[in-house]
Amino acid sequence: MPYEWHPPAEETQRLHLWPHRSLGQRGFVWFIGLTAILIAVPLAAVIGSQVLWALLPFLGGALWAIWAALRKNGRDRDILEVLTLAPEQISLSRHGPHGRRQDWQANPHWVRVDLHPTGGPVPQYLTLRGANRDVELGAFLTEGERAALAGELRARLAALR
Amino acid sequence: MADAAMHGHDHHKRSFFVRWFMSTNHKDIGVLYLFTAGLVGLISVAFTVYMRMELMHPGVQYMCMEGTHLLPTTVDQCTPNGHLWNVIVTAHGILMMFFVVIPALFGGFGNYFMPLMIGAPDMAFPRMNNLSYWLYVAGTALAIASVLAPGGNGQAGSGVGWVLYPPLSNREDGFSLDLALFAVHLSGASSILGAINIITTFLNMRAPGMTMHKVPLFPWSIFVTAWLILLSLPVLAGAITMLITDRNFDTAFFKPEFGGDPILYQHILWFFGHPEVYIIVIPAFGIISHVIATFAKKPIFGYLPMVYAMVGIGVLGFVVWAHHMYTVGMSLTQQSYFMLATMVIAVPTGIKVFSWIATMWGGSVEFKTPMLFAFGFLFLFTVGGVTGIVLSQAPVDRVYHDTYYVVAHFHYVMSLGAVYGIFAGIYYWIGKMSGRQYPEWAGKLHFFLMFIGSNLTFFPQHFLGRQGMPRRYIDYPDAFAYWNYLSSIGAMISFASFLLFLGIVFYTLFAGKRVTQNNYWNEYADSLEWTLPSPPPEHTFEQLPKREDWDRSPAH
Repeated sequence: MPYEWHPPAEETQRLHLWPHRSLGQRGFVWFIGLTAILIAVPLAAVIGSQVLWALLPFLGGALWAIWAALRKNGRDRDILEVLTLAPEQISLSRHGPHGRRQDWQANPHWVRVDLHPTGGPVPQYLTLRGANRDVELGAFLTEGERAALAGELRARLAALR
Repeated sequence: MADAAMHGHDHHKRSFFVRWFMSTNHKDIGVLYLFTAGLVGLISVAFTVYMRMELMHPGVQYMCMEGTHLLPTTVDQCTPNGHLWNVIVTAHGILMMFFVVIPALFGGFGNYFMPLMIGAPDMAFPRMNNLSYWLYVAGTALAIASVLAPGGNGQAGSGVGWVLYPPLSNREDGFSLDLALFAVHLSGASSILGAINIITTFLNMRAPGMTMHKVPLFPWSIFVTAWLILLSLPVLAGAITMLITDRNFDTAFFKPEFGGDPILYQHILWFFGHPEVYIIVIPAFGIISHVIATFAKKPIFGYLPMVYAMVGIGVLGFVVWAHHMYTVGMSLTQQSYFMLATMVIAVPTGIKVFSWIATMWGGSVEFKTPMLFAFGFLFLFTVGGVTGIVLSQAPVDRVYHDTYYVVAHFHYVMSLGAVYGIFAGIYYWIGKMSGRQYPEWAGKLHFFLMFIGSNLTFFPQHFLGRQGMPRRYIDYPDAFAYWNYLSSIGAMISFASFLLFLGIVFYTLFAGKRVTQNNYWNEYADSLEWTLPSPPPEHTFEQLPKREDWDRSPAH
């Protein structure tokens, strides 16, 4: 589930949202490790010959290329949205990708949670309205997740007020 | 903060040039790959037909020093042009290995259906995908240019065989061979970039909940193939780079007179070359699994063993390379190892073949065209596998090495195995890709023509090999005439079936019956592409798919 309510600290509640990624750190290590082992097999046949040195850059290059590609793809999707709910302030910050950071604060009493079934860039588009601004939340989640999240958010906001 | 955007991004229609020449859409690039591979396939098949015409009767009637004929002349008016023969053999090999089968299966079907089946919106790096395709086209152009460029023996083209063994490849004159080497280089770069793209997409962009053990078999097969490409093609790139520097910059990696070792080239070539044959055939395994499950109306038997059999075949493919070169003077121990390791591959292959049969067992088998091709694949690939076991025996290989038995063996696994996989895939998905369905009778006619033709071509070559006819010669003694004649007849029938196939494809694209359903087969075609309209819209799965669309837990 790419969103998670953190245990509340005093009166502050925190929600983390991030895009789904199917490759974890462990998977990355396993894949690169196995690739490195298997790609080294042909070197056994050319040990002790100059051909080894001509092959090495190509093998190293391939390993580097897949490493860089997996990392870049991971970074491109490295987005974290943090929503903090406190009695006096609701704040949302969006980290990444590539080190970007965007922030928004509003008073929870005036915040409105909107779920637009159609008309947005994605179905069940979830937006928050407050401080004279509309901001989106979890545009990268699945439809079902956004719909469920809207309900949870309304309930928590109601409890907070 | 990401401000809300209530106006969805609207798409304006792309012009023809933008859509097909600057495409970054995985489906469009897949279609481009399929068409280009089909065109190059036609050229490459034309070469084989010309070769079989030449071999139809003893003596040389077509490829003469006096001129290259399309109609036979008499033997006494013809001085055999062995160089031309060698050029055509080489071109056929290079085109088929690098520019036809891999682009069709891996580039075409892999690009089109792998992201759809895992619920990804596109490939991880769409612009790199476009680069892969155009590198492939550039490589093809170089390969064809090499046939026409000045080469050895004062003629055009180079005739050193697709394996490009030194010292022959070091001595070939002209720049034709350099063009061929660069062609292979570009094809390798294209495949490696494609493989990186596919691996990243497969690993990082699967739909939520789709664990590795829930991915359908076709994306799995494409992933294993991509991994094999990533592991083996850099080796080839290194090998041919050394050939290029040996030829042009006076290095001596493979020149024995300066302390180089030509046998080492054979080792690294086959370290790439053996995985290459699995690169060619494993995507066909994936397609056949889907086709058989669909038309036997049963979920695939033994999903996990099927997956790990593919992985096992892939891994084993890296440790058996020297069985292509038993005769280079390896020690007895080395030969015994490579022989045993090669035979072990029969185990995962057997798991796959028996699982396919078990899938059909007790199923309600429907003989639509894709299923006929799947049956053909199953039978012919098994025949090729069995002759492979024969050839894996180091002592027996000494008899069969460089005879037509080897030609029959590898054409049974590749020409009849992988190519039947391509046809099965095209008939299975053409309705999905184009929105129009092929005429069933024509597809069946194509299958039976091709089945008869290709078996008539290649089965007699086993006999020729056993009689001792060597490969790669323009002519042969009268004793081999009978089976060569039959083989050539078979080649004509196969060629006719290929032309019929092209006719069917264009008829379907322009006048085929429109497909109205998402899933025009049955509910056992249950991967994600069948939840989309036919043809699918330009953008698919921008929203992650729902789990119940693809997760059919009783299936596995």
